Amino acid sequence: MAKAAARVVLISSHSGHYTGGVKEFDIEAQTLHDVIKALDARYPGLGEHLEEETTVAIDGEIHEVGYYQPVRPGCEIFFIPKIEGG
Amino acid sequence: MDTKTIRPDEKALRIVGTRPVRPDGVPKVTGLARYGADFALPGMLWGAILRSPHAHARIRSIDSSKALALLGVKAVITCADFPEQKFEFVGPERVAINFWHTTRNIMAREKALYEGHAVAAVAAINARVADEALRLIDVDYELLPHVIDVDEAMQPDAPLLFEDMITRGVEPAPDRPSNVSKRIEFNIGDLEAGFAAADEIVEMRFKTAPVHQGYIEPHACLARFDADGQGEIWAASQGHFVVRALTARLLGMNIGDLLVHPAEIGGGFGGKTVVYIEPVAAALSRKTGHPVKIVMRREDVFKATGPTSGASMTVKIGVKKDGKLVAADGVFKFQAGAFPGSPVMNATMCGFAPYDIANVRSVGYDVVSNRPKSAAYRAPGSPISAFAVESALDTIAARIGMDPLKFRLLNAAKAGAPTVWGPKHAHDSYADTVQALLDHPAYTAPLGKNQGRGVASGYWFNNGGESSATVHVNEDGTVVVATGSMDIGGSRASMAIMAAETLGVEYEKVRAIVADTGSVGYTHLTAGSRTTFATGIAVVEACNKVILELRARAAMIWSVKIDEVIWEDGWARTAGKKPGTREPLSLKGIAAKRAVTGGPIGAEASVNAGGVAPGFASELCDVEVDPETGSVKVLRFIVAQDVGRAIHRSYVEGQLEGGAVQGIGWALNEEYIYDAAGQLLNAGFLDYRIPVASDLPMIETILVEVPNPNHPFGVKGVGEVNIVPAMAAVANAVNNAIGRRLTELPMSPPKVLAAIDAGSGG
Repeated sequence: MAKAAARVVLISSHSGHYTGGVKEFDIEAQTLHDVIKALDARYPGLGEHLEEETTVAIDGEIHEVGYYQPVRPGCEIFFIPKIEGG
Repeated sequence: MDTKTIRPDEKALRIVGTRPVRPDGVPKVTGLARYGADFALPGMLWGAILRSPHAHARIRSIDSSKALALLGVKAVITCADFPEQKFEFVGPERVAINFWHTTRNIMAREKALYEGHAVAAVAAINARVADEALRLIDVDYELLPHVIDVDEAMQPDAPLLFEDMITRGVEPAPDRPSNVSKRIEFNIGDLEAGFAAADEIVEMRFKTAPVHQGYIEPHACLARFDADGQGEIWAASQGHFVVRALTARLLGMNIGDLLVHPAEIGGGFGGKTVVYIEPVAAALSRKTGHPVKIVMRREDVFKATGPTSGASMTVKIGVKKDGKLVAADGVFKFQAGAFPGSPVMNATMCGFAPYDIANVRSVGYDVVSNRPKSAAYRAPGSPISAFAVESALDTIAARIGMDPLKFRLLNAAKAGAPTVWGPKHAHDSYADTVQALLDHPAYTAPLGKNQGRGVASGYWFNNGGESSATVHVNEDGTVVVATGSMDIGGSRASMAIMAAETLGVEYEKVRAIVADTGSVGYTHLTAGSRTTFATGIAVVEACNKVILELRARAAMIWSVKIDEVIWEDGWARTAGKKPGTREPLSLKGIAAKRAVTGGPIGAEASVNAGGVAPGFASELCDVEVDPETGSVKVLRFIVAQDVGRAIHRSYVEGQLEGGAVQGIGWALNEEYIYDAAGQLLNAGFLDYRIPVASDLPMIETILVEVPNPNHPFGVKGVGEVNIVPAMAAVANAVNNAIGRRLTELPMSPPKVLAAIDAGSGG
């Protein structure tokens, strides 16, 4: 049986420069590293952008972008603008 | 103070949540704490900075020959002493840095872009000679028209700060330059359909004044640059690792060649997350071969360091008769100051975040004008959009005849509710903060003549990220915890508490310090309400490594396997098949055997902490308005905030109180006042009036404790969200008192009086 892919959404407007405006993807992955590698293979340079400039929300929980983050089949992953405060 | 623990943990905590003595208390009250201005070195020179008297002017030339001829002057530097930087936006989109801009903010190049903009600097044998030398520097300016207000700066015929600035985020790109650096937009649902389904719609315009963070300690630093290219800086900041990185970049140095020592900090609130004087002092030291100290004057702090943005906003909200929000639209225009980079993206993301609304659009504009470059200020951006959104919500709740708190409760975002920026909420404690106010007797207490009551709510992301900590067991069994986090709001106390709780030792046995950039791993800013969460995780991880080591040492002492040793309440005990067959070993006892069991005991942990939980706060304000003067007196103010779990209860209460007070000042008094020439008229605390104790009631706090499952002690950031609802809570109370809606901040007496007069036909 095929594994349910993660739904990946790019929010950062910079991401659109790499993807030509495409924002949503279905990617089979076990870790966030797999997701980034898959996106970078499709859009060279996008991986570095995501690593350096975004924060990630996995099923709503906000994490720093880390290769080690586990990815559950069928989960929702949003790459959002990195957060800074005062 | 009240505490409302929503989901209590099973395991009782010994120290977390108590109020032990603060480790920084005695040095601060006895005057022994060393702030940025307290450091000195042999052979030290004094630096001073020449600042533009003009809001906008081209710099034709700078002649420093007379200044250099003055006895006691050792060097004059200008922009030529800093390497040019590439024009590119680097780093996260919301806080992207363009070092081409940063180096021009440190020292003006082609143009002075605001009154107070640095144009040259001097190093001299004392402060008097340095100031005299500044007067001898001859700058030839060509005056240019200027613009301050954000709406005026967006006009097609506005004076341009940058003649080649093309708005980012607009497709196709505009063919003409403007002061609009960037446009951003977030959408969910179908806005048109949402408003079509609404029974009531309100659309309102708002303006907020730019305000300063108002920290008491002016920026100060000491820099030493050695002949071998190595440098050292002593400075008060919200992150000495970031001071190191920015200064090294602006001077063209390797990061490893710069060592930055933390000083005590006299307030930051976001304003000390960037550098102003550190690269200048280091450049002067590099040129003279002497240590150089720079201490800003209060006037310079107001004129040349980052306030937060003033804003112009339009908010439109649609609601069904039953109170359900169905559509929301916000347009937020923010002053960035002289260089791009206002917190408008935060404003667009946070404004509607507490609410479950299916159809939302949120648009932001980042606009440059002839004011100092904006810097972060406590939940940057969020209080500004919250003022507009929460004022509009109050208006529409009244229109449909709903209680304002029950209206918010009905629409509260819970886990699974959408956000305008995409992901669904994962935490749902907002409703608990509203309920805490509903349950408070103050909400139904009677009001007197000319008195009014207002409520409002707010959202802030909170933050995680990179932090490091080392934990060392001393020879006598006491413990040192060293982190890279500047202590602004009591982090040394909270780190010591978490370490003592994890290790099972007394709080008094743990000494927490802030280590310099050479003595602990990279640690990001003390900002974004991240420190107790992220650095706390690093401390707990380091303690757990120490416990593992302590078990190994005990196993060696007892000649058993490590699996047969457990660590329990500060003692090593035997477990497994032979529990309790040995006398337990204390941390002190194991430390005494450290040499024969392998040497010093310690561990370091570095993390990139994720799993942050956002902050929600709801606030209640009672005011009394003097109908003759328009003066507003705050009678009562209650902050109900989800704090996850309070580590040091007094410090957490202090954060809630401080945020509320700053919001009250923003609401009623504070603003930058410019004359027609773009010069600031109130650059001092006598004329720029932050609230003092006599202006305020005791701030009441309700600590709503919904532990964050992603932190060992349930921590959520607590430092920022408390300021978010405050201005709207005050505005809603004033509206309730006088029956007139004020939509511009500050609600100073003349504006309130004008509103009263307009209402009475006077």
